[in-house]
Amino acid sequence: MTALLFILFAGLAIGCAISMVAQRNPLYGAISLIGVFISLACLYVMLAAPFIAAVQVIVYAGAIMVLVVFVIMLLNVEQEERSPTRLRSLIPIAVGLSAILFAEAAFIIFFVHTSPGTPTTNTSDIGLTSSIGAGLFTSYLLPFEITSLLLLMAIVGAMTLARRGGLLPPGAAIVPRDQVFSKELLDRREIGDLMPVTAHTTEEAERLLGVSREHHLSDHE
Amino acid sequence: MVPQLSWYLALSAVLFTIGVVGVIIKRNVISMFMCIELMLNAVNLTFVAFSSFFRDVSGQLFVFIVMTVAAAEASVGLGIIIAIFRNRESLDVDEASVLKL
Repeated sequence: MTALLFILFAGLAIGCAISMVAQRNPLYGAISLIGVFISLACLYVMLAAPFIAAVQVIVYAGAIMVLVVFVIMLLNVEQEERSPTRLRSLIPIAVGLSAILFAEAAFIIFFVHTSPGTPTTNTSDIGLTSSIGAGLFTSYLLPFEITSLLLLMAIVGAMTLARRGGLLPPGAAIVPRDQVFSKELLDRREIGDLMPVTAHTTEEAERLLGVSREHHLSDHE
Repeated sequence: MVPQLSWYLALSAVLFTIGVVGVIIKRNVISMFMCIELMLNAVNLTFVAFSSFFRDVSGQLFVFIVMTVAAAEASVGLGIIIAIFRNRESLDVDEASVLKL
């Protein structure tokens, strides 16, 4: 019975994974990947790890895939066009690597018999939330704290990367042939007849200020 | 018949292989990103299988940390993808082979 369930979920996972790689539309690929995550969560339940299964569904199939689907829809990605690929030489390498990895899998199946016997039964407390919490806050406390630092760095990095406008603040006002001030610092009465303009990127500001990149280079030489 | 440890390891290897093939043959950044997520999940399956068969909770703690790293990677990676798309109007990795904007 459990073998039947394993074959069902494993087949579902492999089928969804192959479908993800075969799809040309990234949105369909994302939905196939959600199928992989769900079937892996079912396998975790079979391995008596209910906490990891719940986290798999919530974090992976929930949060991360919502983020990916959101970005796909935000960027309005069209179908991946079938263009003449420049990396055609990599296809035999990919086939060779996959053959090697499949050979390793076959080796594991047919020649390794020293695996321990049966998985834990439901009476075991491995994989319950309490044992995971106890392990996380005693022997693995330092990795846990480092993980929190990593998440903080990820938040700051994502905000910095996705920000529009580069170095200048979004509403920067630029007076030609003058200094760059943010809109709050700029006193309109001091400018006189100069007209403030708004630039959103550094290149635009450089162009408006008359300091182009080539000018810098020639100065350097 | 009860599923053996080797079954789970084989499934994990197959999923990882599919992820590697996807990263190599895909050209869309977001598709490559999802293939990387698939590889991380294959490794997670190995961890949970070993943890369950050896009756040791450490593997599941590793899975927890791997999931956190994957979430951080997702946020930063998607931020980079948005920045690339804003500068180049394309998601093709061949277009973005230079780090300079």
